[in-house]
Amino acid sequence: MIHQLLEWLDHRTGVKDLLHEALFERIPGGARWRYVWGSALVFTFSLQMITGIFLLTAYSGSTQTAWESVYYIQEQMTLGWLVRGIHHFAAQAMTVLLAFHLIQIIVDGAYKAPREVNFWLGLILMQIVLGLGLTGYLLPWDQKGYYATQVSTKIMSATPLVGPALQIIAQGGNEYGHATISRFLAMHVVILPALLVAFLGLHIYVFRRHGIHAKTPYKAADASFWPDQVLKDAVAALGVLAVVMGFAYFKGAELNPPADPADAFEAARPEWYFLFLFRFLKFEAVEHLGLAFGAIHFPGFLFAVLAAAPIIARYKWGHKFNVAFLWLVIGGASLLTVMAIVEDGRNDDHQMALKEAERDSHRVRELAQSDTMIPVEGAVSLLRKDAFTQGPKLFAKHCASCHRYDGHNGRGRLLRINDPEDPRSKTDPTNANRIAAHPEATDLADFGSRTWMKSILLDYSNHLGALKNAQWFKDDLQAKTDGKDVAFVNPTDSEMASAVNDEYAKLFSKPENAEDLNAVIEFLVAQRNRSEADKIDAKLVARGKEILDGGKLKDGATITQCSNCHDKIGGKFEVADSGNGYPDLAGYGSKEWLTAFLKNPGGEQFYGKKNRMPAYGDKLRPDELDLLVRWMTGDFYPTHVEEYASRKGELPKAK
Amino acid sequence: MSSHAPAPPGAEGSCADCHCSDHTPPRRGFLYKFFAGALSVVAGVIPGAAGLAFFMDPLLRKPKTGGGGSGGVVKDAEGYIKMSIPLDALPNDGAPQKFAVFDDIINAWNKQPNQPIGSVWLRKINNQVIAFNVTCPHLGCAVEHRSAQGDFYCPCHTSAFALDGKKLNQIPPRDMDSLDVKVSGNDIWIKFQNFRGATSEKVVS
Repeated sequence: MIHQLLEWLDHRTGVKDLLHEALFERIPGGARWRYVWGSALVFTFSLQMITGIFLLTAYSGSTQTAWESVYYIQEQMTLGWLVRGIHHFAAQAMTVLLAFHLIQIIVDGAYKAPREVNFWLGLILMQIVLGLGLTGYLLPWDQKGYYATQVSTKIMSATPLVGPALQIIAQGGNEYGHATISRFLAMHVVILPALLVAFLGLHIYVFRRHGIHAKTPYKAADASFWPDQVLKDAVAALGVLAVVMGFAYFKGAELNPPADPADAFEAARPEWYFLFLFRFLKFEAVEHLGLAFGAIHFPGFLFAVLAAAPIIARYKWGHKFNVAFLWLVIGGASLLTVMAIVEDGRNDDHQMALKEAERDSHRVRELAQSDTMIPVEGAVSLLRKDAFTQGPKLFAKHCASCHRYDGHNGRGRLLRINDPEDPRSKTDPTNANRIAAHPEATDLADFGSRTWMKSILLDYSNHLGALKNAQWFKDDLQAKTDGKDVAFVNPTDSEMASAVNDEYAKLFSKPENAEDLNAVIEFLVAQRNRSEADKIDAKLVARGKEILDGGKLKDGATITQCSNCHDKIGGKFEVADSGNGYPDLAGYGSKEWLTAFLKNPGGEQFYGKKNRMPAYGDKLRPDELDLLVRWMTGDFYPTHVEEYASRKGELPKAK
Repeated sequence: MSSHAPAPPGAEGSCADCHCSDHTPPRRGFLYKFFAGALSVVAGVIPGAAGLAFFMDPLLRKPKTGGGGSGGVVKDAEGYIKMSIPLDALPNDGAPQKFAVFDDIINAWNKQPNQPIGSVWLRKINNQVIAFNVTCPHLGCAVEHRSAQGDFYCPCHTSAFALDGKKLNQIPPRDMDSLDVKVSGNDIWIKFQNFRGATSEKVVS
């Protein structure tokens, strides 16, 4: 019955001949592992077709939905991480397999007559595959893809004559937007795959016409494609699949923070297989010759030499030249790739930019999974409105020229100065740009916390010690020495310094007063109104208040009243024009206090005439001020994102 | 290197120096063929199966009810939504009034707070409220109220219902879909649901 059905089918379609033709290709010298690369590429391409079509059933291409749908695929959909992971890593596997295939073809001489045309078809296929990689890179619409592709389209615009027009056509406009995604999607899922299938068909047809170029000397008797070579090819295919799935499982396809045209991505790099070009373009000499030379003319020249290989091979030594040329190009590209990776590894700012991207990426997922989910204006708005994300960026921009945050600039980076006079620069001139600058104001990582209060009460001179590095301090000190009447905050010579050094530090370091010190600290910390997070102990607060109001310490002493100088102690903070130039201790460290302080630190309820900090009322937009303050006071959606590592240890010792 | 090859294998024509007379394959053991076939199938099935599971995701996903609570929607634990219309604003004669119901819309990754999700006919009778989903149980048009005839009427396929929701002709498969209502004080709470069309049974969709 089945036999009859097969006979009928064969009679009508000739399927047997077709199968026979497909499977019983003769392989002189037997099946060999070195022939698997072409089949492995075909397999990987089918992998991309399968996963790609499934991904297309869930992808949504617009600037408000591209990242969001990829996030949904990756984090929410059944096996989405696997399907996307396979697609992501198989794309990279294809470039590796392409390289192996090319090496085998060149080294074995399979590109020579009569196979020139097939070699050229292969080179076209290579370009199509690279084009697929490039167009696919943009589709998740994350920071990395967005800014890396910006470079690609800029390179495109450097093409002589037609460049600018080409760029606008590819982008679908002067700027990146919805149209860019639609065009890249059309290229990625229809145009390039269709071209690839067409050229692959030609490639295989021409390949069959001339048969396999068997490597000599033959190692075995002739075999046929089925099942001998198929078995080896299948093993290779499974190997590729295992590696790709391993990467998908253990590493996972990355998804950087959503693209934000207003927030340049400092960690931008092309995909690793284009790193060589990226590094090449960074050479000063190449930069000098222009983008068109480095990114178009020179690579174009190398490619032309490669394409000419079958012609060159007609001459004596031609084949040897081709082999040498290929190894030279691959060696050079590998060297450049390694250089790029090593240099990035040593580049602290780049590492911190990567860290920041990882944090933002983690954070945006955290927000997307919160009860509010993603608003229709897109995930990028989650980050833009998030104090935890924006606070550090605002701090780095506006505060970090004087202050530090746990030793860094809020974004995990050291603030560096070029100081050729520093002894470290003299021993190694390359250090000149890497020397951490002296902070010129207090480190604010602990602002308003118990640590902060303790440091003020027991170690005031050191707490504010960084002020002494500032130029204004040196000028004011000089002016004072010259007998002028200047008021400024002096860490070592002021009412507060005397109170702490002569009295508080001594009284509170007595063991019997330890609990009372905690009480005073508790009272002060309670001012910032974060009772829940601070786990405030109300009894201690009451005891602290008692001490500040003149109550006796455990050892019987009383402390000099804070109210001698500070106008308001305890209670709710209120914005006021009055005061006497000592910071209010009512609501100290709260959102309201900090907002008013940043707007006008020289107000009489803060530092009055002694203030040297700029007022930020005009320097920051109200929403920026709000984000900065909410970050510094811990008022944001709770997070599991890791803090930046402390860099206090790398700061220079106080002068 | 290949110029020194004993038998250039790529010579024009298919089988110039071939020592097999036709393309008969060399005999190989069954195991050899079995593994070649099986491995190929495995390599193809894994991505295909993963992709299919991915494609079937909507079937595996539990329907999410709108979150409520954000953007002004008031919703209780049982899913009743508080209407903005107070009880005393409904006419005492039981005349049907149409109101939109608001809830948060969850659309895959998006959440849009406080969006209209449908409409209801409300009637107040003896300080109790009855509610009907305006969607016709026939084929899903919006049912209108005809005050002259004193009935509900669907303009699409002329389904007609009495004011208590009973069907008046054979066009709709069932009565109008009544909704659960709670009245507390002056507040009206409605459990808004949509039902499958064109079936005689009332099944939540």
